[in-house]
Amino acid sequence: MTATATAPDRTAPHPPQSHRGRGWWLITGTAVALVLVCVVAAGAGQLAVPPGEVAGSILRRVDTGLEWLLGAVGLHVDLPLDRITGPTHPQGDAALWQVRFPRIALAVLVGAALAVAGALMQGVFGNPLAEPAIIGVSPGAAVGASLAIVAGLDVLGSWTVPVAAFVAALGTTLLVYSLSRSKGRTESITLILTGVAVTAIASAVVAFNTFIASPTAREQIVFWQLGSLNGARWQAVAVVAPFVVVGVVVSLFLSRRLDLLALGDRSARHLGVNVERLRVLAIVVIALLVGAGVAFAGVIAFVGLVVPHLVRLVAGPGHRLLLPASALGGALLLTVADLVARTAVPFADLPLGMLTSIVGGPFFLWLMRRMRSSHGGWA
Amino acid sequence: MHRPVARPARVLAAAVAMLALVACGGQPQDPPTAAQSPGTTPATTAPGEPVIACGDPIEGFAVTHDADGEPIPERTSPTEDVTLLTEPTTAVVADDGVDPVGTAPQPQLPVTVESCDGEVVEVTDTSRILAVDLYGTLAEIVFSLGLGDSVVGRDTSTGFPEAEHLPVVTPGAHDLNAEAILELNPSVVLTDASIGPTEVQLQLRDAGIPVIFFDDARSLDTIPTHIRAVAGALGVPDAGEQLVERTYAEITAALDAAPAAEEAPAIAFLYLRGGMVQLLGGPGSGADSLIRAIGARDVGTEAGLERPFTQISAETIISVHPDVLLLMSAGLDSVNGPEGLSLVPGLAQTEAVQDGRVVDMDDAVLLSFGPRTGRVVAALAEAVYE
Repeated sequence: MTATATAPDRTAPHPPQSHRGRGWWLITGTAVALVLVCVVAAGAGQLAVPPGEVAGSILRRVDTGLEWLLGAVGLHVDLPLDRITGPTHPQGDAALWQVRFPRIALAVLVGAALAVAGALMQGVFGNPLAEPAIIGVSPGAAVGASLAIVAGLDVLGSWTVPVAAFVAALGTTLLVYSLSRSKGRTESITLILTGVAVTAIASAVVAFNTFIASPTAREQIVFWQLGSLNGARWQAVAVVAPFVVVGVVVSLFLSRRLDLLALGDRSARHLGVNVERLRVLAIVVIALLVGAGVAFAGVIAFVGLVVPHLVRLVAGPGHRLLLPASALGGALLLTVADLVARTAVPFADLPLGMLTSIVGGPFFLWLMRRMRSSHGGWA
Repeated sequence: MHRPVARPARVLAAAVAMLALVACGGQPQDPPTAAQSPGTTPATTAPGEPVIACGDPIEGFAVTHDADGEPIPERTSPTEDVTLLTEPTTAVVADDGVDPVGTAPQPQLPVTVESCDGEVVEVTDTSRILAVDLYGTLAEIVFSLGLGDSVVGRDTSTGFPEAEHLPVVTPGAHDLNAEAILELNPSVVLTDASIGPTEVQLQLRDAGIPVIFFDDARSLDTIPTHIRAVAGALGVPDAGEQLVERTYAEITAALDAAPAAEEAPAIAFLYLRGGMVQLLGGPGSGADSLIRAIGARDVGTEAGLERPFTQISAETIISVHPDVLLLMSAGLDSVNGPEGLSLVPGLAQTEAVQDGRVVDMDDAVLLSFGPRTGRVVAALAEAVYE
């Protein structure tokens, strides 16, 4: 990583400069990697479109947009950008703009949402295992989705299941939170244990819905729980984007207080942090982020656990770095996973949650073993 | 810590600006193949009204009523006694292939269709057809109409020889992949709600391809409606009527061959997967319609079940006393064949299993309720009665 000119002093703690330097590299590096992966993902899919034609398709749109803008201010110019040929396949343009690009956009948004939600949870509850599934948000969303699928509800057309999932996610989070309050305080352990209990109830309800479902509905429920971005449309991106952007931005404002919270509840209070309000705000943000994440994609576990830990191992626990780096890292992870999911097997679309877990789990184990020997524990 | 955040922020701002420009670019330059304005000569026999994809089923089709909903005289039952099978039998459809009702009928286009989801769709080109649903019914109808040469892909349930060479668009999990379908560049897509995800079907519509949703109910009563709807949507209504008449004739002929028992046997339709999953078919399972068609009684419906399939306990299957068990072949394989049935608790204690009165049939054929249903009924009757 960054080389220091002076020999390291073994008795002094890590100087903040080295972490800050690493953090800078991490964020830029992840951002660049994300852009690269998006470019590769834009060119890869089951409908083969050569990279030149992908670029051509994008440039034609930019050309039209620029010409329109210039026309609006009175300059009528014919820009040469549209000379580049677009996709030759008759459905190539549609495949790019109606199928592939919204899917990549949704992968970026959902990945960022889940990773930031996980990082927030670990900070707020001081528990490295905290994940949206633990306080019951993911299982709660599954209850909403499975009810909508089994009841065959169609009140909002194809929006019915996502809206049900989102509302259920919010409801479950607030339920868990209110159940675990006592005397105006919420202890971490109580919250997590309540979440475990609510998860058990939610799982039972989903199991019942699976039992009474017709074979088609049962398949839908099972696949919703496995997570997939198949069928992502721009409308879904438009709905998810505001939640994710607002959630991530608000979480950035919480960074300093979360750092203080890491010193312990009492110390944080003594330093002026309103712990209860911080927890409530964080939980609302978490609920929004995870709700937006699962509504259209189903349950995608593990992103909220692995990405923040990887970031901490590289750049330390400071939330100012952790939150933006987790957002970028989560987006990167999910875009890569989705790329594999939709191109690995011809004509097929693998479940996304399965991929993130199968690859992430062993990798995480390996990383833990490696870091434990050199770092001696969690930062 | 402003420095590490400033640079990515600028890059992000540039990306957002680019995105906004691109969004202003709006719709793609080249319009896709279908959905042109009708400057072509209108179809000669097409009325002003759109073809309805979701028509009403004809109750009792080929059993008590004919193809136009008129009642038919009751079948005279043969007086000979009925004997049930004595050993596990596989009901095999006589001929696996599809018999087109004519050779390459000329579609009369354009056609306006009101799809089952309410959208009005215009079909202008039927040279590249994709018909996908869970049971393979739609593809079967398209091929039976004589338009098999125009089909560009198939679903997993469509296994007849004429379609084997086509790429399978729904491997394994009945989940559609939009890009792979777009690569085939279909000019019209026939589908229904039994397959999904719905968003993918809507994405195909966004790409400019006319996508028509049909009714996903499957029973004897829906056969004429489906055939007429598909034929109308593809601009060959006359071939459709021919096919309906032929299917009606085949089913009634098969029913004539099936002896009407004085004491109709009780047949239980079971969906099996290993020893744990045991779903008993009830009203609306599809098999109930077939079972009644061969003059038998559907156990699930009589027991008062309300849903098409219900997970039952081992004791339930004993208490309903089925005379014959009807299974799908894949389900029978999942318990290792007829010998394996006698190891499954509950099933092993039924007289049907002990006396070998077990009939199995290929999944793809049994519930598809397409034009080949006559052969299915004949095969079932032949297997159940001896």
